Amino acid sequence: MRGNLKDFSPTQILNLVSLAKKTGMLAIDRKDVKANLAFKEGKLVFVAVGDADGTLASVLQRSGRITKEQAAALAKRAQQTGDKQLGLLLIQKGYVSQAEIIQSIKKHALAAVNQFAAWKEGLFSFEPGQQPGDERITVPLDLENIIVQIARVQKLDEQLEEEIPSLDIHLKFTERPQVKMKELQLNKDEWRVINFIKPENTIRMIAKSCNMSDKQIRRVVGSLREAGLVELVQIRKREKLSDEEKSKKVALVSRLINHFQSMPAD
Amino acid sequence: MQTQTVKMVITGPFNSGKTQFVGAISEIDVVATERKISSEAERVKDQTTVAMDFGRITVDDDLVLYLFGTPGQRRFDFMWEILAEGMLGFVVLVDSARPETFREARQILETFRAYAPTPYVVAANKQDMEDAWALDDLRIALKLEEGVKMLPCVAKEKETVKNVLLELLYSILEEMEEE
Repeated sequence: MRGNLKDFSPTQILNLVSLAKKTGMLAIDRKDVKANLAFKEGKLVFVAVGDADGTLASVLQRSGRITKEQAAALAKRAQQTGDKQLGLLLIQKGYVSQAEIIQSIKKHALAAVNQFAAWKEGLFSFEPGQQPGDERITVPLDLENIIVQIARVQKLDEQLEEEIPSLDIHLKFTERPQVKMKELQLNKDEWRVINFIKPENTIRMIAKSCNMSDKQIRRVVGSLREAGLVELVQIRKREKLSDEEKSKKVALVSRLINHFQSMPAD
Repeated sequence: MQTQTVKMVITGPFNSGKTQFVGAISEIDVVATERKISSEAERVKDQTTVAMDFGRITVDDDLVLYLFGTPGQRRFDFMWEILAEGMLGFVVLVDSARPETFREARQILETFRAYAPTPYVVAANKQDMEDAWALDDLRIALKLEEGVKMLPCVAKEKETVKNVLLELLYSILEEMEEE
């Protein structure tokens, strides 16, 4: 099974794998990033997307359980022992519990599959029967729930794109926010965005300052709008007139002025 | 030669005097689209504009100025953007004696500024009323920037209406000279 995500979307592929209870490895090759998703009898068992390669060291680091330096040391060790042995060692030494490892892997898999689901193009191929090496820790995840969740997020993103069609518009705080400030609970991203809401900043500029993608900034702005905190302000730039157009307009306005000045009072 | 037409928009909150303003200067009877007020809360007058007011000023054989008054009630604001398209400038009319409408006037002003980056002036209408706010106080209440002209107005008097439109034209000219 080969093709391009342009023609067969990530959600369609996941649906097909789930319905046909396929076992194998889906490889995606994009200009900027490569990804591998392993399935066993229709369940997702392993995901590696770019730097998030699905190794135990990387997964634990991304979930914040170990530092970058610790991850580098563990990755070195895992080259000799494999992730399963390394995991056992970490559990025995009391650094992490089995539940924490499973939780971290699930979290990584969901984040990675969500990233894959947003891709609009990229060559893909599915190799039946192929699985990640035995040294990898695999955690089976039901695809049905993931697909439903992805579809929901995609629908929300589409709605947000309709509501905020352009990012070249400005934001302003509402004069009468419909929320009680005392009850206001914002997440980290929302606070970051709020920090940059100024008359001169467009949404695109705020996204750049906060290092957010178009989708991320739309979600944050969408939730701030829903909370009644901000509204969109579209300030259109004046078209620059040519010298000829300008002199014509000046003449026209002057004629209007002359007319009003000579208008008799009633 | 084909007659050239230009337009200006007169906007402002409900009952700020837009229909009267257009009527005071228009050479034709204002084509008004007034209907009876259906909302109890807004029954400070019998009728209100639901689409637009339309007035005309013929400058000469080949130049005509159209004045469009916007509907004041917010539920007709879908008309605003259509009316704002291609305007030379706009006037925001404020009822100087009704402070409860100042916030709305400010919001309308910002909405129109967003529709088109054209010059505008603010006209403090009903200055002949006893409880009318002074221009300086109004400027603060409306949070007007320093360069924005705030002009006294009595919409039923042609002379003050003429002055407001003249000031708007001066602003247009000034802005073009600054470019």
